[in-house]
Amino acid sequence: MMVKSTLTSPIKEYLLAFADDEHLMGQQHTEWIGIAPFLEEDMAFASIGQDELGHASMLYSLVLGDSSEIDGFVFNRKPEEWRSCQLVESNHREWEEALMRHWCYDMAEDLRWELFRKSSHPELVSISERALKEEAYHRRHAEALVENLLSVPSSKSRLMEALEKIIPEVLDLFSPMPGEEDAISSEVVSGKYCDMFPVWRTRLENRFGVLDPDLFTGIDDVTRTRRHSDFDVLFNRIREVFLLDPEATW
Amino acid sequence: MNRVWNAIEDFEKFLNDGGVVEPVDDMPNEYRQAVFDFIEMHANSELMGGLTERDWIPKAPGLRHKMTVIAKTQDEIGHAHLLYMIAADLKIKTRKEMMEDLFAGKSKFHNVFHYQAKTWGDQVAIAFLVDAAAVISQQAVFKNCSYGPYKRILKRIIAEEGFHLRFGEESVLRISQGTEIQKALFQQSINDWWWPALQLFGPDSKPNDRLLRWHIKSERNEVLRDKWVQKFVPLLHGYGFTIPDSGLKWDEEENRWEIGPIDWEPLKRTMAMGGPDSARRISEASDSWEKTSWVREALEIVAS
Repeated sequence: MMVKSTLTSPIKEYLLAFADDEHLMGQQHTEWIGIAPFLEEDMAFASIGQDELGHASMLYSLVLGDSSEIDGFVFNRKPEEWRSCQLVESNHREWEEALMRHWCYDMAEDLRWELFRKSSHPELVSISERALKEEAYHRRHAEALVENLLSVPSSKSRLMEALEKIIPEVLDLFSPMPGEEDAISSEVVSGKYCDMFPVWRTRLENRFGVLDPDLFTGIDDVTRTRRHSDFDVLFNRIREVFLLDPEATW
Repeated sequence: MNRVWNAIEDFEKFLNDGGVVEPVDDMPNEYRQAVFDFIEMHANSELMGGLTERDWIPKAPGLRHKMTVIAKTQDEIGHAHLLYMIAADLKIKTRKEMMEDLFAGKSKFHNVFHYQAKTWGDQVAIAFLVDAAAVISQQAVFKNCSYGPYKRILKRIIAEEGFHLRFGEESVLRISQGTEIQKALFQQSINDWWWPALQLFGPDSKPNDRLLRWHIKSERNEVLRDKWVQKFVPLLHGYGFTIPDSGLKWDEEENRWEIGPIDWEPLKRTMAMGGPDSARRISEASDSWEKTSWVREALEIVAS
């Protein structure tokens, strides 16, 4: 019989990095609802954004032990206490960048959830199974759109330019997370996320062709303690209503 | 079935007998145009409603609220999507032409979406007052609508709008029991949105309104407006808010609320694209549409 792991503080911090990534990825998708190239894309970004926020909500609940604590926790944290990666903090102003981020993030996300499928913590197993079902649709959406746009030279060049801009931010997604060693040793997770990077890179180069190897140097061990220069604006948007009256329940 | 009517009188008898028109029918041109204009404006309004509300999605105060307002906006854009499809089936304009006319300021959308949602309180007021006004209108159209595809889609729209109203009602209830800052914020939203929401129903219907005669609408504008007033005046008072109408009074004899005179100038300005937020709304939508034209053009090449 499997013994349920206790979520120690380091393991919680490790899970928090995933929750923060999912939260801010969902947040970034919401910025495109209503201004995407056509109505179907508005709806797709709305749907994918909801899914990512839902994943964040489940992970935060697990870390905090109570879903009613999520908003207070999110709103009151200092920027240096966030564990999100550069990719989800970055403000992408062009649709091609938003699309390439969607492709890059969702092609990496299932690899991350797969690491929890045999977790010693049963709740993580059920969360990952649910998320993996949803992620299949996210990948299908990103792939279909990218495949079509790559077949036209003018749109291909836009995507490739956006991709080269984004790859350094994607590398940060795979950078080591605090608490990862503890999570692995207690079998909460089955391996290091950065070990999945070659799988992601193969997916990338199968889709976009072989890219300049120099783009792929830079996975560092800052362990997600630095914030992107866009973070403050993003955080202020998230907290704008909350800051009107921190005592209020909306 | 491809039905043909030789005279408008025959067509009107068919409608009066409860007949339902389908796109394959050889309907009179005047009816086709009237149905198209009505659905196009509804579609435009759903889309512009989504754009009005999108500003507050990233700022929603909490993850659950954020997921709720995403779902709401997704519904509104989904309604626009369905409505543009059935409007396009009438073969007067394609969906692309309708959207380009909208972004060029050439076609109309409801008055309320010519106003800006400036606060989270406005977001709640839209769900509480505006969506309720829209549902009252839509239910009246659905009840006896003579154009089949529109009636079928309204059934789904009305069901989804029910969830939007619940979001508004729950939010107003929490705010009414909340802090003074919350109450003051929402009172301002009522002050700003009461009259635009009331004017959503339009001026009194004309005696010979074709939309009524052809059973596209089933109730007169003033009847629907009054239904909304009788519901929302006591509700807002009950929550402890005031209504920005100095002429509002309770008629003891009739047992009903009487509102003061309505100033229709703001409605006329919105219909001429001169509302408080018309220029920004249209130019931002138009800019986004223009900036992403390369995606649509590329996909057209792929499809050809």
